[in-house]
Amino acid sequence: MESLVSLTCSEPVVCNSPLSTASIWQDVLAQAVTGELMAAMNYTAISTICDDPEEVADALEHAQGEQGHAAGFAAEGRKIGVDVPNNVNARYWKRIREAFMGCIAERDFIACLIVQEIMLESFAVASYTRVGKAAPGSLGSTFAAIAAEEEGHIEHAMEILRAERAKDPQRFDDKVYRLHLDVMTTLAEMVARECRHGQCDLCHSSCVKPSLSEVGLSTAELRGASLQRYLKTLDALGLPGEVTLQWVTQLPM
Amino acid sequence: MGHATANVTAREPRANVDFALIGHQESWRAATDVLAVLRGAERTRLPDDEIREIFPWIPPRAVCNVEATSATGAKARGLYIDCFIPPDHLDSEYIHENIGRVRAAAACAMNAGARIVSLGGFSSILIEGNFHQLPERADTIFTTGNTLTVAFIVQGIRKLCEQEGRDISKSTLLIVGATGDVGSGCARCLAPFVKRVVLCARNAKRLQTLAAELEADGTEVEIASGLKQVPCPANIVICAASLASPSLRLGCIAPEAIICDAGYPKNLSPRGDMRDARVFFGGLGQIAGGLSFKPDFKGVLNRHPFPEVAHGCLLEGMALALARRFEPFSQGRGLITRERVEEIEAVAALHGIHLAPFFNAEGPLNSAENQAP
Repeated sequence: MESLVSLTCSEPVVCNSPLSTASIWQDVLAQAVTGELMAAMNYTAISTICDDPEEVADALEHAQGEQGHAAGFAAEGRKIGVDVPNNVNARYWKRIREAFMGCIAERDFIACLIVQEIMLESFAVASYTRVGKAAPGSLGSTFAAIAAEEEGHIEHAMEILRAERAKDPQRFDDKVYRLHLDVMTTLAEMVARECRHGQCDLCHSSCVKPSLSEVGLSTAELRGASLQRYLKTLDALGLPGEVTLQWVTQLPM
Repeated sequence: MGHATANVTAREPRANVDFALIGHQESWRAATDVLAVLRGAERTRLPDDEIREIFPWIPPRAVCNVEATSATGAKARGLYIDCFIPPDHLDSEYIHENIGRVRAAAACAMNAGARIVSLGGFSSILIEGNFHQLPERADTIFTTGNTLTVAFIVQGIRKLCEQEGRDISKSTLLIVGATGDVGSGCARCLAPFVKRVVLCARNAKRLQTLAAELEADGTEVEIASGLKQVPCPANIVICAASLASPSLRLGCIAPEAIICDAGYPKNLSPRGDMRDARVFFGGLGQIAGGLSFKPDFKGVLNRHPFPEVAHGCLLEGMALALARRFEPFSQGRGLITRERVEEIEAVAALHGIHLAPFFNAEGPLNSAENQAP
C-alpha cells in the first residue's frame, strides 16, 4: 500500500543555488516534503481499515493529494536550485509514524483521524501559513496554497470527530490525551528552540533552526502558531480549554 | 514527558457556571507563575525567555474553576478566563489585538454558560465604552465591576484618613485618571467630603464636563491636563489611570499624603520618592466565606499578602452571582453614582465581601485596624 510514494532516503544534498538563503529553504522544504509523504502513507493506511467504500475512496484521494503536495514542494526546491531530500525514518517523523501505525494496528479509525487531522494538520497548516508569508515568490505562494488546501479538508474530519465526542466526551477526551502524549510530545520536540537530542536527520548540514531568522522565520513563531492552531482545533471539537491548556503547557519546550 | 498526569482530562462539570472573571496578568512574573502551576510542580519551570515566546500565542481560555462562598453559606461557581495579553502589550499600539482577545475571552464565558461576566483590569478599560463590541447572548450579562472597585477605593480613603487622624474635610483630593469610569466615580463619591478636588486627565473636554458637574453640587474643583499642571499639593491622591506599566511619579503631593494606587497594572513607579506618604493598593476587597480555585491558583491569581482578597471589579461579579442578581450592574463610562456605589456595597456586605486590609508593594501597612474583618 505504501509503494505509491518513493521513500528512498536521500543522500546528503549539496546546495549549489545562487539564492543565498537556498540552503535554509532546502531544509525547510525537506521537513515539508517528509511530512507530506508521511501524510500520504497515513491516509493510505487509513484506507485499509475503513469499511465504508466511500471512506476508502476518500482516504486514497487524500493520500494522492498529499503526495501532490510533496511533489509541489520538491518542484519549488528545484526552482531555487536545490534537491530536496526526504526521510520518513528521520528521528521525529519515525516516532510519529510509529504512533500512527499503533492506531492502525488497533483499527482505530477515530484515533487515526485525531493524529492526522488534528495534530499533524494543525502543525502543517500553521507552519505552512507562516512560511508562506516569509518565503519569496512562488515558494511562498506554494506554501500558502497548500496550507489553504490542508485547511479545507480538515472540516470533514471535524464533523466525524464532533459526532464521536458527542457520544461520550470523557472517553473521547481521554483518547485525545493519550495520543497527545505520544504525538504532540514529538511534534513539540521537533519545533523546540533547539534539538536537544541531536540531529533531526533531515537538515543537510548543521541544524537549520538558528538560521531561520535569516529568512524571516523563527522556531518561536512556528512553535507558537502551531500550538495555537492545535488549541483552537481542540476548542472547535469541544474539549474544555482549561484542560487542553494544561496539556500544552506540559509539553517539552 | 512522563505520564504522571493520567487524570488530567478529569474536570469539574460545566453545568451551573454562575459567573466568569475575565482578566490578564499584570507582570511577567505573574504570567510565569500561572504557567508554572499549569505545568505542574514535577516539571521544571520554563525559562523566562521561553515564556515570553510562548505566552502571546495562547488563545484566551478558561484557566481554572473558581468557587466563591458567601457569609450566608451560599456558593457561586465560576471560571477564571485569562485573555493572555502579554504584560508588555498593554500599550495603545496593541489595542485592536487586545480587544480581539477580550472578545474571545467573552466568547469563552458565553460558551461555558456563565450568567454574569466581570471584566478585570484592561479588559474593562478596553470595553467600557464599547460594550457593543462584545459578542451577544441573551443569557450572559457583562459588568465592568467598576462600581464595587470605586466603593472599595472610597472606603479605603475614608478609613485610612480616620485611622491616621486626618480631617478629610480640610483635604485636597487629587484624582489621576479622573475622567475614567473609576476616577469619575471616585470624584462623585468623595467630592462632598473634601475641601477641594483636583481632577487630572488628558482629555480636556471630559475634564471640563466632570468639573462642571461637581461644581454644580458646590464642590471647589481645579483641573489639570498633566501632573505638572496640578495647582496645589494634594493631601489625598487616587491613582486610577490606565497605564500600561507602573510609571507614574507624583510631584504634587503634600508631605504625609495618603495615596491610593488603584491601577491594574499599578500606576505608581517603584522609583518614585514617596517616603513620607501612606501608599496603599486600593479597590480591593476580601470575601469572608473564601475563594477556592481548581486547579489551585491561590496566591497566584490573587497575589496579595492577605487571604481571600481580590479586585473589586471581579468581586462585583461574584457578589451579584451570590445575590442571584444577573444584571449589567456597571456598564459604560462615567455613569457611576453615589447611589449605585451604596447599592453594590450593600449587596457585597450581605455576602461578607468587605474592604481588604491595607497593603502596598512592601507588604501590609502597619495599622492597628489592618486586620481581617
